[in-house]
Amino acid sequence: MNLEWNGQERISAPKAKVWAFINDPAKIASCLPDLQSFDVKDAHNVDAIVKVALGPVRGSFKFAISLVPGADGNHMDLKISGGGFGSVVNLLAGADLTENTDGTTTLDWKGTASVSGQVATIGGRVLDAQSHRVISTTFENVKNAVSQAA
Amino acid sequence: MTSTVKLPERHSIGQSMKRKEDPRFIRGKGRYLDDIVLPHMLYLALVHSPYPHARITKINKDPAMAVPGVKAVITGEDLVAAKLGWLPTFHGFDSQMVLAIGKALYQYQEVAGVIATSREAAADGAELVEVDYEPLDPVVDPYQAKLDKIILRDDREAKTNHIYHWEVGEREKTDAAIAKSDVKIKQRILSPRCHPAPLEPCGCVSDMNTATGRLTVYMTSQAPHVHRTAFSLVTGIPEDKIHVISPDVGGGFGNKVPVYPGYVVATVASVILGVPVKWVESRTENLTTTGFARDYHMDVEIGATKAGKVTGLKVTTTADHGAFDAAADPRKYPAGLFGIVTGSYDFPTAFAEVDAYFTNKAPGGIAYRCSFRVTEAAYAIERAMDILAQKLGVDPIQLRRQNFVKKEQFPYASPLGFVYDSGDYEATTKKALELIGYDALRKEQAEKRKRGELMGIGVSTFTEIVGAGPGKHFDILGIKMFDSAEIRIHPTGSGIVRAGTRHQGQGHETTWAQIVAEELGLDPQELLVEEGDTDTAPYGLGTYASRSTPVAGGALALAARKIRDKARKIAAHMLEASEDDVEWKDYKFSLKGVPGKSVTMKEVAFAAYTNPAPDTEPGLEATYYYDPPNLTFPNGTYIAVVDVDKDTGVVKVRRFLAVDDCGVVINPMIVEGQIHGGLTEGFAIAFMQEIKYDEGGNNLNTDFTEYLIPTALETPHWETGNTVTPSPHHPIGAKGVGESPNVGSPQAFVNAVIDALSPYGVTHIDMPLTREKVWNAMQGAKAKA
Repeated sequence: MNLEWNGQERISAPKAKVWAFINDPAKIASCLPDLQSFDVKDAHNVDAIVKVALGPVRGSFKFAISLVPGADGNHMDLKISGGGFGSVVNLLAGADLTENTDGTTTLDWKGTASVSGQVATIGGRVLDAQSHRVISTTFENVKNAVSQAA
Repeated sequence: MTSTVKLPERHSIGQSMKRKEDPRFIRGKGRYLDDIVLPHMLYLALVHSPYPHARITKINKDPAMAVPGVKAVITGEDLVAAKLGWLPTFHGFDSQMVLAIGKALYQYQEVAGVIATSREAAADGAELVEVDYEPLDPVVDPYQAKLDKIILRDDREAKTNHIYHWEVGEREKTDAAIAKSDVKIKQRILSPRCHPAPLEPCGCVSDMNTATGRLTVYMTSQAPHVHRTAFSLVTGIPEDKIHVISPDVGGGFGNKVPVYPGYVVATVASVILGVPVKWVESRTENLTTTGFARDYHMDVEIGATKAGKVTGLKVTTTADHGAFDAAADPRKYPAGLFGIVTGSYDFPTAFAEVDAYFTNKAPGGIAYRCSFRVTEAAYAIERAMDILAQKLGVDPIQLRRQNFVKKEQFPYASPLGFVYDSGDYEATTKKALELIGYDALRKEQAEKRKRGELMGIGVSTFTEIVGAGPGKHFDILGIKMFDSAEIRIHPTGSGIVRAGTRHQGQGHETTWAQIVAEELGLDPQELLVEEGDTDTAPYGLGTYASRSTPVAGGALALAARKIRDKARKIAAHMLEASEDDVEWKDYKFSLKGVPGKSVTMKEVAFAAYTNPAPDTEPGLEATYYYDPPNLTFPNGTYIAVVDVDKDTGVVKVRRFLAVDDCGVVINPMIVEGQIHGGLTEGFAIAFMQEIKYDEGGNNLNTDFTEYLIPTALETPHWETGNTVTPSPHHPIGAKGVGESPNVGSPQAFVNAVIDALSPYGVTHIDMPLTREKVWNAMQGAKAKA
């Protein structure tokens, strides 16, 4: 089962600040909704345990998150893979930053996910909406966290 | 139910005796597999592949072994080392991985087993087994599998997904006959993948006694003896050291015929650990890994004259078998009894072919109250006859009656090689038309159409083929499909009756007693029926494919007659007469021509132990192994009346009548119960049940929120009736009925809906007829118009 979404956040902070934030695995992990715990592995990798409730599938999923920053300082790829309950979720999110003239930054994001196992089967009806919620909430949390810090 | 044929007053057969097994079932005193708890018992949980197609590069057991209570983790490689990596499928042409070896071939395939001191610990351990997968592209559609772009089975020499080609009949003659016909129809008809979903899922308790070296397996089995033999062949344990007990079974419908990985892993674990190991599936495991049903894609062509006489039938089928060829068809018939596809109609020529393919889906294929592909065949021909009627512009009943095999044509040799034993299709149909008031319904429909209302009447005049079967044609793993009975009459005239079958709700404890009581003039209430224990029951092939009454039922009657023959000798001794002067009349032995001089079977039974005749063995018991000379061919005429809501596509089944002819009826109440159950399944198949996979190979119907079972709320009211055309070769003339309502009904529902939508020009919709599909069919037709 393959899913695709996209969205946009306008962040009240300059691009350099946003870029620094999304390059920090601990900060990115802390923006995941329903986060239970995380463990930073190195400068680009973090393991996170997240509470998941998809229809009758309820429990903790373990995700490995890798940050792949683009050389230009504008683009970041986030690879999130993991799962639980006999399910596998592979999520790839790309974020593009554009500095605006008013000192804010626009974050355009695009996400694709492939899902196998119980999550795809049992959670099928709610999967699209729920996954969209997870990823959009993550970027919304990024916006709020950076804006607050600014 | 009423009968058109007046039968002589019977002692026991034909009585609606209440089921002897029901008091324990309705009081919660049945003993099912999961009720069995043995000392020191461990629990098995299975790890399943989330991917439909993936290489397995590494399995790490350590995190699971660290869970408190976990005693062992077993993988496919472990089983290979023990030479138990693969097990033969019942078909005999393919083998199946017990646990995935190197590659997972369908989603939810069993990859490892975790054995622990509690169910919870086993489940926790299973969650922690780390399996590294390299996902591969799956093949989900059999038409894609045909292209051989992705080959599923590395283990086979032939690098193709094609499993077999099977054909029957005359291709050229049929093609020519259809080509020159005035009227032709051609339709691809899908009998979609569905699942029998018995209330009780599969499970076992394997108990290897390390002191005696004897393995006892309690299992949900429709065929305990076959399972004992299969266990012996697979494990190398001598058959006398294996004891299979099938306790009360909560529904089978063919789902409990195959050998599943859980049975093997639990047994291996018990052998290794020396304690009993229990495995009980979850609902999801049952729906995703065990024997599914159907998945036949059938291209059906019929030729006919302008006057409506059929000239030829051709059916070209693509069969989706999943990852292994595990459909338990007899060796000689890889496509089972699909040759019944000419149905109740006298086709001058016919041809059927089936090509089967591997796909990344669960294996199986012949379950769900289906005698080896008869359901697919009956659906195809009954749907196609309606399409032909629509094209000819004639009433579907008229077209059927015009083409029926006539009563005087029996025994009827069909163009696809079967010899139908008996039938009177016209009588069954006439009765159905009268009971439902067919002409009045058609009038009502015509009036409603004028008002723009959508009412449909659907018919199915099907012929079944059951009772596998003659040993010369049918086998499982090479074992001929006979069946057996053993009867022991005690000194006081009660007795114990054992058979090689194993009921799962069919009522054998009652009907078997009725058959024996009828033959011996005894009280059926005093005959205890016992099945399912391989240490005590005679060897039999089990209960599925509507074979119990046609095969074991024959064995019971003939074993009883053996007892009667011996009893006659004893009776002659008691009556101080020659055996030739003793006759069996009015359920007792009488001296010919001397009224009042008689002895009952009860008196004979006592004498058999207290005063046996000279030169006869004491005691009164017999065993019979019955190999039937032919299959039996029950038939029925089913009529559905539906109303379709124009705006929503919602179908309401207003009436449904099933008139069955299953030959001699042993217990009308039980037959009616069987029909009610089967019709409810047929209704579910027609309107709500399908195991669907998305393009990525994810199974989308893995529990009862997505795979629906009709409740009393959705289930229509069933009307029933019957006619009786005895089977000429069966010892008591019975034909079997268990599967008829499932085989006969889906097409009646579908035909009714299509009939309702015919003003839109709709000619076919594939099952299940969800409101969405019905609504879309109307919109599509509107758009075309």
